Amino acid sequence: MPARAPRFRIRLDQVVMAAAVVALIVLIVLPLGSLFLGSVTTEQGLTLDNFHEALTGRLYLQAIANSLILGAWTGLFSVLIGLPLAWAVSRTNVPAKALITLTATLAYLSPPFLTAIAFVNLFGPNSGLINKLMRDVLGLPFLTFDIFTMKGLVLVTVLHTFPFVFLLAASALKSVDASYEEAAQILGASKWRTAFSITAPLVTPAILSGTLLAFVNSIALFGSQAIIGLPGRVVTLPTRIYALFDSPEGYGLASALSLVFILVTVAALFLQRSFLARRSFVTLSGKGSRPQLVNLGPGRWLLFGFAVLVFILAIVLPYSALIAVSFSKSWGLDFWKNLTLYNYRFILFEYDVTKRAILNSLFLATLAALLAVTIGAVIGWIELRSKIPGRKLLDYVALVPLGLPGIVMAVALIQFWLKMPIALYGTLTILLLAYTARYIPLGVRAANASLRQVDPSLEESARILGAGWGMTMREVTLPLIRPGLFAGWLLVFVPSIQELSASILLFSSSSMTLAVAVYNLYENGYTEPVAALSIINIIIIGAAIWLAHWLGGRETTRAGGLGAT
Amino acid sequence: MASVTISGLSKSYTGDGAAALSTLDLVIGDNQFVTLLGPSGCGKTTTLRLIAGYMNPDTGTIAVDGRVVSSKEHVVPPESRGMGMVFQNYAVWPHKTVVETVVFGLKVRKTPAARAREQVAHALGLVNLSGLENRLPGELSGGQQQRVALARSLVVEPDILLLDEPLSNLDAKLRDRMRTELKQLQRRTGITFIYVTHDQSEALALSDQIAVMNGGKLQQYGPPAEIYARPANRMVADFMGHINFLPGRITSAANGRCQVMLLDRLPLEAELPAGLATGDAVDVAVRPENVILSREGAATSGLLGQVSERTFLGNLIEYDVTLQAGPSLRVQTHPGSSFAAGESVVVSFEPTAISVFAAGTTEKIEG
Repeated sequence: MPARAPRFRIRLDQVVMAAAVVALIVLIVLPLGSLFLGSVTTEQGLTLDNFHEALTGRLYLQAIANSLILGAWTGLFSVLIGLPLAWAVSRTNVPAKALITLTATLAYLSPPFLTAIAFVNLFGPNSGLINKLMRDVLGLPFLTFDIFTMKGLVLVTVLHTFPFVFLLAASALKSVDASYEEAAQILGASKWRTAFSITAPLVTPAILSGTLLAFVNSIALFGSQAIIGLPGRVVTLPTRIYALFDSPEGYGLASALSLVFILVTVAALFLQRSFLARRSFVTLSGKGSRPQLVNLGPGRWLLFGFAVLVFILAIVLPYSALIAVSFSKSWGLDFWKNLTLYNYRFILFEYDVTKRAILNSLFLATLAALLAVTIGAVIGWIELRSKIPGRKLLDYVALVPLGLPGIVMAVALIQFWLKMPIALYGTLTILLLAYTARYIPLGVRAANASLRQVDPSLEESARILGAGWGMTMREVTLPLIRPGLFAGWLLVFVPSIQELSASILLFSSSSMTLAVAVYNLYENGYTEPVAALSIINIIIIGAAIWLAHWLGGRETTRAGGLGAT
Repeated sequence: MASVTISGLSKSYTGDGAAALSTLDLVIGDNQFVTLLGPSGCGKTTTLRLIAGYMNPDTGTIAVDGRVVSSKEHVVPPESRGMGMVFQNYAVWPHKTVVETVVFGLKVRKTPAARAREQVAHALGLVNLSGLENRLPGELSGGQQQRVALARSLVVEPDILLLDEPLSNLDAKLRDRMRTELKQLQRRTGITFIYVTHDQSEALALSDQIAVMNGGKLQQYGPPAEIYARPANRMVADFMGHINFLPGRITSAANGRCQVMLLDRLPLEAELPAGLATGDAVDVAVRPENVILSREGAATSGLLGQVSERTFLGNLIEYDVTLQAGPSLRVQTHPGSSFAAGESVVVSFEPTAISVFAAGTTEKIEG
C-alpha cells in the first residue's frame, strides 16, 4: 500500500481554492467595503451627511423616484407583453411560434443603448423620422411621439426586459404537469376555471419572479437612461451617480446613492428569490405529460398580430432605423436621395478610436468571460463537493454582484483602487476587474448547473483508484462539465462586449471600449457615423455568438454522443 | 490481502447528536466476503464510505492490517488507500471508453504501457467484456457498465474491494448471474470484499459473514446460516425474512434451555434467552417454512386453527391461518400438500427452529 501522505504538504486543491477565495475578496468584498467606507467618511472623519443628502436632497429623491417609476412601469409592461407571448408559445396553436421565440431572444441580446439610439432617430421630437412624417408630410401632429420622456424611456427599456417574463413564464407554463389540469377537468372544472384555479397559481411565482428581474435590470441600464432620460430631464439613479462623478467632491455622495441603489435592487432580488424558491416545489413533477394546446380558432390570428407588432417594435424598427441611418448622408425624409458608404469609411478607416475600441472590447470580453467562468467553476466545486466550513457564505458572496448595477460596481472599484498604491484607474485592468466581478454570478451558475449533472461518485471512483485532486479534475470533472462551462463563457461574453454601465465611469482614451465609443460619438452629435458603428457593434456581437454556438455545437454533439449514464 | 479492524466508529451528519453510525466494532478477516446488511438509513453505506476514506469519523478508528487509516484527527485520503470501490450507480465515466476507463488506475500507478495493456485485457476477460474495448458507456447495457466498474476496480489488484449495492440497479435475471460471478470472483482473487446491501437474500447467498445493522448500530455479526436460524434479536429475525411472533410464557428454565407455554396451550422447548427466567412473558418466533399443518385428528399435539387465505406461489403454497386462540400466522408448505380456504387445521412447529425473545421488545426497523 502507498505510504501515508505527509500531513503538511501544500496541496494543489488548497492552492486553487484559496486563489478563488482571494479573487472573490479582491473583486467583490473589498470594493464593496470601500464603497461603504467612502460613503460614511470625509477628511474630517465619520459622517452620515452623504446619506442625509442622498435621502433628502430634491435632486436625489427625484432620481430615486424616477428609477422606481421606471422600474415599476417596465415591470408592468414586461408582463403585459411577455405573458401573452409566453402563453401563446407554450399553450396555444398560435402560428409562427419560432418568430415569437426569436423576437424574445433577439430583444434580449440587443444592446439596449443601441435600441435607444435607434428610437431617437425615429421619435426624436424634432428630427425623428416618424415624427417628421406625421407632422410635416401627413399633417397629423397628434400622432407624433416624444421619445425624450418617461414614456419613451419605458418603451425602449421594456423592449429589452420583456424577455425575462417571457422566458420564465413560458418555461413554467410548459413544465406544469398536464395531469394537474386534467385532474381538475375530470372533476368538472371548465377550461377557464382550470386556468384560473390550477394553472395560474402554479405559474404566478415564475411570472412575479420574471417581473422582478425585469425591474432590477431596467433600473440598472445606464445607456438608455442617459440617451433618452437626460435630454428629457428624466434623471435616474445611474445618470445622477454619473453626474456626481464630475468632481471628486461628489464621490462620497455618489457612494451613498450607490448604496441606496443596492438596497432597492437587493430588496427586489430577495423577493424574486423567494418567489422562485416557492415555485420549485409546486410544479415540475418531471415525468408528466405535455399539456394540451388550446385551440384559439380565428382568435389565434389576433395573438399572432400582437406577436408581429412586438417583433416590429422590438426588432424591425430599431434595426432598420440603424441600418438606414448608417447609409445616409444626412438622416431625414429624403433618405433615398442621399445614400452613402461614407459613414462606414469614416468609422472604419478615419476614426482612429474604432479599431482600438473593437480590440479592447474583444480582449476584455474574452478574458473576463474566461475568468468569471474559471472562478465560478472553483466556487461551484467548493460549494457542491468540498466540506470547507463557510462554503455557503462563499456562494452568497459570489452572487452579490447580481445586486450591483454596473455603475455601482464602477463606483465601488474606483473607491477601492484610488486608495491602493497601484494606479489602475483608466486602465484595461480595472475594466477587466469590473466585467469579471459583474458576471461572476453567471459563471458560478453555469458551473453549478453542470457540476450538479456530474454525480460525485464519478470523482470518488477516480480518487479510490489512486488519482489525486488535480488528476481527478483533469481526467474526470473538467471534461464532463466543459460544455456547461462553454455555455457559461458565452453567457458572460455577450453582455461583456456591450458593457456600458460600468465602463462609462472607468474608461480612458487608451482603454476605450466599443459601447463607450458609440456613446461618446452619439454625445458629440455624430448621428450617422454612430449608426454605422452601432451596426458594426451588432455584427461583432452576432459573429461572436455564431462562432461560439458553432464551437459549442461541436462540443455538445461530442458530449451528447457520449451518452449520459 | 488485508483485514480491516473497526473500533468504536461513530459518525453524525447533523451535529445534533442523531448518529448515522454509533460506536461500531467490527473485525473483517482477510480473504473474506463480508456483507453489511440493513434497511436504508441503518448506517451501512456510511460505514463503507468511512472505510474508503471519503469521510472523517467523529470517534473511533479504522485499521487496515493493524495500521490506523482513519481517526478523528487524520484520515488517509482515498487515493492513498489502495482499495477499490464499486458504486451503486456504477460511476462509469461517460466520456471514457471501456479501455480508457479500466486503464485509468494503472496510468495513475504509472504501469508501463505494455504491461498495462496485458492487465487490462486480463481484467476485461475476468468480467467477460472482451470485444467491447472501444465502446463508450452510452453504448453499453446496465450489466455491462457494472462489469466495467468491476474491471476498473479489479485491474489495480486492490487488497480490499468495497461494493455499494452494486446489483440493485440490475434486472432480476442479470442480478442472479452477477451474484454468482461476484462470489466466484472473490474466491478466485482472494480479495477481501466488503459488500453493502439491503437485500437479505443477496446477503445470505454471497457472504462468509453478515453484519446486520439498524439505526446506526450493529445488531448481529456472524455466518449467514446462524443469522437466519439464530437471530440475536427481533429486528434481525424480522429483517431476514417473514417471521411469525406468538405470545407465550416461560414455565421452567434450566441449563440454558427453557420450557415455554405457547398461547397457554402448547408446551415447547427452546434455548433460554439471556436475562429471562421462569414466569417471564416471551414472544416465540417461527419462520413460515417451519410451521407444520396437518388435518384435524391427524396430529397428536398442536394448536387448532382455520385457513383464512391460500396463495399459490408455484414452488410453494402460502397460507394465512387464524388460530382459535386469536392470533394468525403465515405458513409455507410444499405444493404437494394442499388445504382449502376455510378448512380447519392443526398447527405444530419444527422443534429445532424456534427462537424466543423477551415479549414486546421489538427494535423498530427504521427505514
